[in-house]
Amino acid sequence: MDVANLRARFEDMGDQLSRRPHLLRLGALFSETVLIEVDGNEFYLTFHRGLLEKVTEGPSRQTPWRFALRVDSASLEKFWEPIPEAFYHDIFGFVKTGRGRIDGDILALVKNLRYFKEFMALGRKKEAVQ
Amino acid sequence: MNAPTAFEPIIGRYLTIEVAGRSYRIYVEEAGQGQPVICFHTAGADNRQWRHILNDAELTSQYRFIAPDLPWHGKSLPPEGFEEEEYLLTTEVYVETVLKFVEAMGLENPIYAGCSMGGRIALQLALNNPEPFKGFIAIEASDFQPAWYDIDWFHRPDAHGGEMGAALVSANIAPQSPRAERWNTQWMFMQSGPGVFRGDLNFYTKDDSLVGKLGGIDTSKTPVHIMVGTYDMTCTPEDAKRTADQIPGATLAVMDGIGHFPMSENPATFRPHFVEALSKMD
Repeated sequence: MDVANLRARFEDMGDQLSRRPHLLRLGALFSETVLIEVDGNEFYLTFHRGLLEKVTEGPSRQTPWRFALRVDSASLEKFWEPIPEAFYHDIFGFVKTGRGRIDGDILALVKNLRYFKEFMALGRKKEAVQ
Repeated sequence: MNAPTAFEPIIGRYLTIEVAGRSYRIYVEEAGQGQPVICFHTAGADNRQWRHILNDAELTSQYRFIAPDLPWHGKSLPPEGFEEEEYLLTTEVYVETVLKFVEAMGLENPIYAGCSMGGRIALQLALNNPEPFKGFIAIEASDFQPAWYDIDWFHRPDAHGGEMGAALVSANIAPQSPRAERWNTQWMFMQSGPGVFRGDLNFYTKDDSLVGKLGGIDTSKTPVHIMVGTYDMTCTPEDAKRTADQIPGATLAVMDGIGHFPMSENPATFRPHFVEALSKMD
């Protein structure tokens, strides 16, 4: 998946997020920038009160971010399958298998864990289990 | 008076046991008649994880399933003085709780079935206290699992430990499991008392006392059957296999398409594997 496709995917996930009242409720206190790095390509996702405000492509050394999810595109594609295979079904699976890394303010992630996991799962294909 | 037919067959009652010199009021659910099977829940949850087995008419015609809430869990109260205490479960207290429970219930030769930390205790009992038991079903069980998370996340003054715990353990639930049961499984973690999940994980992630000792289990007297789901990232199939390989005569079942809470998250997928496990206890 190339950079333009990934950016479009994240923006589409933001659109879906705006139509999910339960996620907006869960994310009501979440106003942070999250770095998602895919195959070394940086995407800064800026959330405001649960809404995805903007997606900015890197590289950038000046954009502050709260936590980062770094993964390869093949793993992310597997994660976005409708029924992902074992160990690709959750963002922590990337860490467990060594295919990805989560760093930064992990506590900020954990405090908003359900919200962020369900946001990431919005990238799944339509028949996906949410 | 006849019970309304709408009631489930599960009966819930309380009993008080003494463990490590302290008194604990324990909530117990049971259903069925026949060979007793005591069923222990995972960390951070309660006996509702076993609701589908206790409601299984075919199984309860042959087995008496008894599922307690451990102290501090579900409807079992914490001990007097809990309000100023840091809850930290230990292997010793858990083992004594099981043994005192079996004694208080007057059970003869029960099968022990436990999941996750309950599965770890199955192995502890099989090694050190096998006498009262007919056999052990160790579900999502391994000799040792160091934490891949910070257990202190789950007990903080500035966040809801239950919601964080549920969101974390969802990593161990298979996406194939029915949506309603996936969320019922997480609800128990959301409801867990403050600090209880953390206190359970204290022993589960730190006690490595079984490492190198599992060869001492005598499965000719008490069979050990280990079960593991392919979507379990806490006790992986590799962890369960490593554990089973160390126990002469132990059997292992790898369950496709299910996670760390099999009896709760996907009862239909779990059932045939559990029937097989029960048959191995004879």
